[in-house]
Amino acid sequence: MEGRRAYDLLIGKTQAVLDFEEALGEVTVYIARDQLVEVATLLRDDPDGLYVLPIHVTAVDWPDREPRFDVVYQLRSLAHNDTVRLIVQVPEDDPTVPTLEGVFAGMDWHERETYDLLGINFAGHHDLRRILLPSDWIAHPLRKDYVSFGEPVAFTHNIEWALPAQERPDNMPGESR
Amino acid sequence: MTALPPLRRGPATPPEDLSSGRRMLGVEEGNDAIDLVRISDDLMELNMGPQHPSTHGVLRLVLELDGEIVKECMPDIGFLHTGFEKDFERHSYQQCIPYTDRMDYLAPLINNLGFSLAVERLLDVEVPPRGQYLRVIMAELARIGSHLLWYGTSALDLGATTPFVYAWRDREKILDINELVSGVRMHTSFIRVGGLMADVPDEFYSMVEEVITTFPRLIDEHELLITKNPIFRDRTRGLGVLTAEDALSYGCTGATLRGSGVPYDVRKAKPYSSYDHFEFDVPVGTHGDVYDRYLCRIQEMRESVRILKQAMDNLPTGPVNTADRKVAMPPRNEINTSMESLIHHFKLVTEGFRVPKGSVYQAVESARGELGFFIVSDGENRPYRCKVRAPSFSNLSALAHIVRGLLIPDVVAAIGSIDIVLGDVDR
Repeated sequence: MEGRRAYDLLIGKTQAVLDFEEALGEVTVYIARDQLVEVATLLRDDPDGLYVLPIHVTAVDWPDREPRFDVVYQLRSLAHNDTVRLIVQVPEDDPTVPTLEGVFAGMDWHERETYDLLGINFAGHHDLRRILLPSDWIAHPLRKDYVSFGEPVAFTHNIEWALPAQERPDNMPGESR
Repeated sequence: MTALPPLRRGPATPPEDLSSGRRMLGVEEGNDAIDLVRISDDLMELNMGPQHPSTHGVLRLVLELDGEIVKECMPDIGFLHTGFEKDFERHSYQQCIPYTDRMDYLAPLINNLGFSLAVERLLDVEVPPRGQYLRVIMAELARIGSHLLWYGTSALDLGATTPFVYAWRDREKILDINELVSGVRMHTSFIRVGGLMADVPDEFYSMVEEVITTFPRLIDEHELLITKNPIFRDRTRGLGVLTAEDALSYGCTGATLRGSGVPYDVRKAKPYSSYDHFEFDVPVGTHGDVYDRYLCRIQEMRESVRILKQAMDNLPTGPVNTADRKVAMPPRNEINTSMESLIHHFKLVTEGFRVPKGSVYQAVESARGELGFFIVSDGENRPYRCKVRAPSFSNLSALAHIVRGLLIPDVVAAIGSIDIVLGDVDR
């Protein structure tokens, strides 16, 4: 069972584990938001863990659920050949988690990507800007309430669609979805 | 090990003298394009890319130079961002496969494989041995093809024109095999959820045999051109050093990590698709410099040929697709005779299959490193969320760290050595 090692370690040495889940051979550990940095540092440095390779950071949006966002961290231990998935749940009105930049240098870009596409705020990040989208982009596309498709091509009869998003009139013809 | 220092220095004093430039270009304050090219007293900022030939796509680097020495490097990515992850959420699982082709477009079959494996784990579907072996063969061919392209272009960046032509000649053989099995040379979508597009035709065996017999000699030829070439060696040895500790901290994988001496390969660590049946070695470097990363990739091609040979020698017979009719298309002749099959065919084509609720992370070793698919399913026929862990993205994030203190021409060598594909970085 992947990630069991990390779960045992966290249960033994911290109070940060809120919940856990076992499915498809993988363990998902739910972590308290305010203890994320200690948890990541412990997993990285403890000889029983040595989760030294940050795999990715992302988030999943569940708009009908409270708290709304799952911020997902995946860490890999090479010494023990194990992977663990950590999840921090954050509410819609305060989608903030502490940054792990100080623990893994590679978290920098992954956190920027998560901020860019899902609007998760990483408190303490030194340079939290958009990374994939243009800096003047509005909203965060991977949120479920982001209307992306169905924007018509601008012709003479619906020339308003050629305007930048912020300058368009409110009720425009041809809007779908 | 420390994090990257802040890229934007001196936030307290905004560069007011750039307002005229802003007006001229019609951009508002806070826009990257202007902010990044601030000019200070003694350092020069140089824009490199996004159309620079050595950035292998559309990568923009802003280099802060002291004379010819790079003091700071600020990569600017996203020019190829296509929103595949958003597209996944409105396409059925089988329709997602062609999108995966277009991420790492130099080894598209490995992307197909990663996505398919993740969905198969959610579905709890097993692919028959022949399907698994053929997947391995196609993935290893893709890896060799990708490495050949890297070999040609990264040598070309350093001024060696000939290797490029040799690499192109050999890669053509692999593209021919792609064309034979799937009808398409690059974006094959050959590996699908539940198995393969189809079984391979008879010519396939002789063509792969040719690759197995000729490639060791052809790789020797490539090595003859470059490996002991004194110009290349002097240029790349000790250049762009990445320590194992830093490489791990930045999340580097693949040859970028192995060049620094960490023997991490997903095919060995978490074998998938019968990789545990094959005997192969994981080449590692010792110095973590450009030359070691080069040696690792060359050696990886030889190991891939070894895997190909074992897979072809022991290729099982039997079906290539899973017998689960809820996932894989029924064979054509069955549709003519069985009402059930006709219904399955109709459902699969119009609606696709539904995947049980759950989430899964599946990693495969792509030509560039650990490629992972994190898929969350809510029980529908399309992914609720699919995050692609792109190896190039993490590898490229270490570039600024690698090139700090190098000369400008060495930046080109460093970019070549980490082997990025911008489609993979930006997705």
